[in-house]
Amino acid sequence: MIQIIVFLPLLAAIVAGLANRSIGNVPAKVLTTGALFVSCALSWPIFLAFMSGNESAYVQPVMTWVRSGGFDFDWALRVDTLTAVMLVVITSVSALVHLYSWGYMDEDPDQPRFFAYLSLFTFAMLMLVTADNLVQMFFGWEGVGLASYLLIGFWFRKPSASAAAIKAFVVNRVGDLGFMLGIFGVFLVFGTVSIPEILVAAPDQAGSSIGFLGLRVDTMSLLCILLFIGAMGKSAQLGLHTWLPDAMEGPTPVSALIHAATMVTAGVFMVCRLSPLFETSQFALNFVTIVGATTAIFAATIGLVQTDIKRVIAYSTCSQLGYMFFAAGVGAYGAAMFHLFTHAFFKALLFLGAGSVIHAMHHEQDMRFYGGLRKQIPVTFWGMMAGTLAITGVGIVGLGGFAGFYSKDAIIEVAFAADAPYAGYAWFMGVSAALLTSFYSWRLMFLTFWGKPRWADSEHIQHAIHGHHNDVDHATHAHEEAAADNPPAQEDAGSAPHAHAADAEQLPDGTGGYHPHESPLSMLIPLIVLSVGAVFAGFVFHNFFVEPETAGAFWQGSLAFNEPLMHAMHEVPTWVKWSSTAAMLLGLLVAALMYLRETDAPRQVAENLSPLYKFLLNKWYFDELYTLIFVRPAFWFGRIFWKGGDKGVIDRFGPDGVANVVRSSSGLAVRFQSGYLYSYALVMLLGLVGLVTWVMVR
Amino acid sequence: MVDLSQYLPILLFLGVAIAISSIFVFLPMGVARLTGAHKPTAAKLAEYECGFPAFEDSRSQFDVRFYLVAILFIIFDLEAAFLFPWAVSLEEIGIAGWATMMVFLFELIIGFIYAWKVGALEWE
Amino acid sequence: MDYGQSLLITLPEIILSIGGLVLLLVAAWSGAKATRAVSISAVALLVAAGVATLCYTGDAFGALYSGDQFSDFGHVLIYIAAAISLMIAPRFFQRAGLARAEYPILILYACVGMGMMVSATDFLTLYIGLELNSLAAYVLASFLRTDERSAEAGLKYFVLGALASGILLFGMSLVYGFTGSTSFVAVLGSLGGGMETGALFGIVFVLAGLAFKISAVPFHMWTPDVYEGAPTPVTAFFASAPKVAATALTVRVAVDAFGTQTLAWQQIIIFIALASIILGGVAAIGQTNLKRLLAYSSINNIGFLLIGLAAGTQEGISAVLVYLSIYVAMTLGSFACIMQLRGPDGEPREELSDIAGLSQTNKGLALAMAIFMFSLAGIPPLFGFWGKVVVFDAAIGAGLLPLAVIGIAASVIGAFYYIKIVKLMYFDESRTVLQTGDGKALAWIGAIMALLVSPLGYFSIPLLGGFANNAASALF
Repeated sequence: MIQIIVFLPLLAAIVAGLANRSIGNVPAKVLTTGALFVSCALSWPIFLAFMSGNESAYVQPVMTWVRSGGFDFDWALRVDTLTAVMLVVITSVSALVHLYSWGYMDEDPDQPRFFAYLSLFTFAMLMLVTADNLVQMFFGWEGVGLASYLLIGFWFRKPSASAAAIKAFVVNRVGDLGFMLGIFGVFLVFGTVSIPEILVAAPDQAGSSIGFLGLRVDTMSLLCILLFIGAMGKSAQLGLHTWLPDAMEGPTPVSALIHAATMVTAGVFMVCRLSPLFETSQFALNFVTIVGATTAIFAATIGLVQTDIKRVIAYSTCSQLGYMFFAAGVGAYGAAMFHLFTHAFFKALLFLGAGSVIHAMHHEQDMRFYGGLRKQIPVTFWGMMAGTLAITGVGIVGLGGFAGFYSKDAIIEVAFAADAPYAGYAWFMGVSAALLTSFYSWRLMFLTFWGKPRWADSEHIQHAIHGHHNDVDHATHAHEEAAADNPPAQEDAGSAPHAHAADAEQLPDGTGGYHPHESPLSMLIPLIVLSVGAVFAGFVFHNFFVEPETAGAFWQGSLAFNEPLMHAMHEVPTWVKWSSTAAMLLGLLVAALMYLRETDAPRQVAENLSPLYKFLLNKWYFDELYTLIFVRPAFWFGRIFWKGGDKGVIDRFGPDGVANVVRSSSGLAVRFQSGYLYSYALVMLLGLVGLVTWVMVR
Repeated sequence: MVDLSQYLPILLFLGVAIAISSIFVFLPMGVARLTGAHKPTAAKLAEYECGFPAFEDSRSQFDVRFYLVAILFIIFDLEAAFLFPWAVSLEEIGIAGWATMMVFLFELIIGFIYAWKVGALEWE
Repeated sequence: MDYGQSLLITLPEIILSIGGLVLLLVAAWSGAKATRAVSISAVALLVAAGVATLCYTGDAFGALYSGDQFSDFGHVLIYIAAAISLMIAPRFFQRAGLARAEYPILILYACVGMGMMVSATDFLTLYIGLELNSLAAYVLASFLRTDERSAEAGLKYFVLGALASGILLFGMSLVYGFTGSTSFVAVLGSLGGGMETGALFGIVFVLAGLAFKISAVPFHMWTPDVYEGAPTPVTAFFASAPKVAATALTVRVAVDAFGTQTLAWQQIIIFIALASIILGGVAAIGQTNLKRLLAYSSINNIGFLLIGLAAGTQEGISAVLVYLSIYVAMTLGSFACIMQLRGPDGEPREELSDIAGLSQTNKGLALAMAIFMFSLAGIPPLFGFWGKVVVFDAAIGAGLLPLAVIGIAASVIGAFYYIKIVKLMYFDESRTVLQTGDGKALAWIGAIMALLVSPLGYFSIPLLGGFANNAASALF
């Protein structure tokens, strides 16, 4: 059963990837999508069995992997509640994204490759979440990294996509180094990489110290922080987050699957999976809390001013991951997983909705050229609306609400209730970020679906109207243009951009004569399904994930469930319970004011607070800073090593030197072969004399 | 110090050899001088070497047929050389020795027939 | 001494000798027109001799000749190589206008000598076998007597061969002088324990004489010139059958006669092996003639073979035999490919530049050639890799780790020129007009050999390894 779930996507990926164009688009798509739906159909019963308590954790061995002295582990698939949750998230979203891609990638010339990558990713992700030992988890970890790299750079002819892919890969390497050091450290300390054995042994090591980089440090803190650095890289937390927004260069379904719903949550999953380990080090938990809370607010601030629809959602993802981490940091792993679970649905929904909008708007991604789409693409609109309601956490205390209302508010409340050192900071940041979340999410909605159409100024739309886009390479072509005319983001949305207006036809209503079409059914069905998830996932599942009475039984010890903490969560003062709702309402109000009523306000705000605005627009200057600190010196060092070290020393005395010696000695040998009998005889006799001398003097 | 006394027989042998060879060279010359007329010509003073000029460029060509004959001669010369010890020891090596030599002779005969048939024995 | 039994054991040699004599008479009477019939009869004789080899085992004529499994292995391999050399020859000599019935007959005589070499358990048998083979080989080398290069090759081979024979004979007489016997068993017995310097000299001289026959450095100098000058079928023959015989002979002498003095010869063999690998690799890089290049390749391969011998273990000898078998297939296949290269007027082409762009004009030939080259270089999926694996495995098993490491490192040098040929065929533009394909026999033999060394060859490992193990166990 579990083997089928995990390996079917791999099989599909191999067949579709190797056969590629030789079997044509449709068979490859049917194969991969079918495999994912089968996996999905098999995953839900497992999850439901865990929900009903009929199933208990087990490990399914697959085959021997490494037997090397004490370094000894197998390929094995671990199935417990935590895995079951991840299984349904991964297979459901992946299946829907496969289906969605039928419509979205319809014009792409390279579809089998795309679907093979998607399935490969799914396999790697499943491998990650079913890992029974750290090395297998690392295998899955690197597998998803690879698939992410391939998919971000799927349109590899576009330089910005290639650059983004490389950036994602390199930044993840930093995190992976931490993860690897963590695994090495774990093996050093515990003598095993088996996760259950480590978790059992962890409490005994609490308080011990270990030498690291010449310092004496607390063993568990060191291990946990190293592992967490891996999680930071994969989950795009502050400092290692820079790759995630750039990753939006990939096709939108990829963003939905990998960079919203599944892969980026691998870090959260890992922290939860190893939660007993983290529980042994308060220092590491504090670190997790601070990083998570800071990321939540930091990413949200950047999200405020982005104009690219996908980037807004990307920063939103980053921010929501911060929530999950600080929930884990204060000890509420159940809440973290719950938010992961609901977030997967509504964030995938938002991305797919955004994809649908982009599809309708002929690959225009700049929200400043949207507006008034509510009537044109109603299904997409309602899907996006469900997603927005879910992410902003709309609901009434005591009655119920959308998914985010349960999961996000649970995190904010638990942060208030927890007595961990930095919980107060986390709570404050959480509430503030909720306000910002509400603002940017509604801003996205208002700019896209309300107001007057501002399509005419978009070059993509211009292309569509003038119709010289009918080449085969349509999708790639369109994206190359997107890269070429990155809109100069000098003004905030709302103020009419006039950079492209010169030769536009300027029809009165701003549509430019363009008629957006609703996406095909294959794209709408995932939207509808995910909308259902976004609306009901919180209500249906919160009992199992976070309620103190029932959740402990649900988790079955697969993560460190802190029942007293969850009780405390329920007993926070009422104003705390209302605080996040209030923040949400405030955000909605401000957004409505600025983008529906006073459409000139954003520009004025941007002008009045110009330094702050620029600071946010440039993403806190992280990329510039990194370029200065890391990239340039790295290039400089690289050049020195390349010219001086590699070419000057290693090549010169190594391969080139040896090759030259061989070549010159070849010339010598050829010259020695004179063709004269007497010289041949001489060589023979000299050889004989040499041998005799050798045996004599030996 | 190496004991050179062991080399005395060799020294004696050398002395005897030099003496005898000197006698062989100078005795005929002396006898000829004393008994016959002394009228040297170029032909008379030339060394005798199998009918060829003694001093010539070593790379000079001469007829390959000489080699053919020489090679064939050597083969049968060796055959004869083998026959002598064989004949002497025939009593001891018995029927097996006899048979072996017959096989050897038979093979040489076939070789001889081949050489004859392909014309290796004909000078022209 | 049971003569009947002895004659049965030496039956393969007797069959070939009598058959050769009869064919000689046929050739004398019928001349060139009987060439075809004589060739076919010669192949048939080889088959009969091969069967006869397998039928009888044991020692013959006292301890002069041994028909053990080791000699069986050598015989069969030699006969196969010789038969293939016969099959690829006819069209070549027809084109040269020198299709003579003496070619198969000389090959048969050489085979008699080689059979005696692999079966020799006495220095005298050894010497007679060696000379019988050599004399036939000298004539074969100069078989294209109107071709200057062929005549030169024959003469060089003869003179240097005579020198080597002298060295060998001198060594044998030293060994005889210090042990009092020419029989391997007796020599083995009296060499045990402390050894006199004279006997040690004898061992060195004998090994030097044998090293000439297998063309190991520094006794290799004749090889490139003779390989280049001799007619290509003869070169193919030289590179295969006599190599088998001489290697097997060296192995037997080293193990059966000098086995109690392993330390005395092991270092010599190691030196010769490494020198052959390195020089064979380095010098080949500078070659422009394909046959000359393959001559260095054979020197290179002999080095690898000797690594197995240097191990001195049963495993090592088994590895030598496995390597030999694979090497014979590779080298015969390579020559079968080269012989298919013809200029516009049908003249043989054998320059490196002639095969440039071959993949465009003759895909099959280029593919076969590429397989042989990759296999010779020891690139893994091909069978040549297996030969190197067993040899190095044996060396490591015998504790000769540095030797194995150096050998593997040096094999990289060889890989360079093998792959260069592939590069020429597949990535360069053709410069000469080439007419390829020369009769079905060549194409078939090339194809079969290519199949043998292709990854399919790995299926033969149990069989080949089993035979080689049996053969090697006969020596211990």
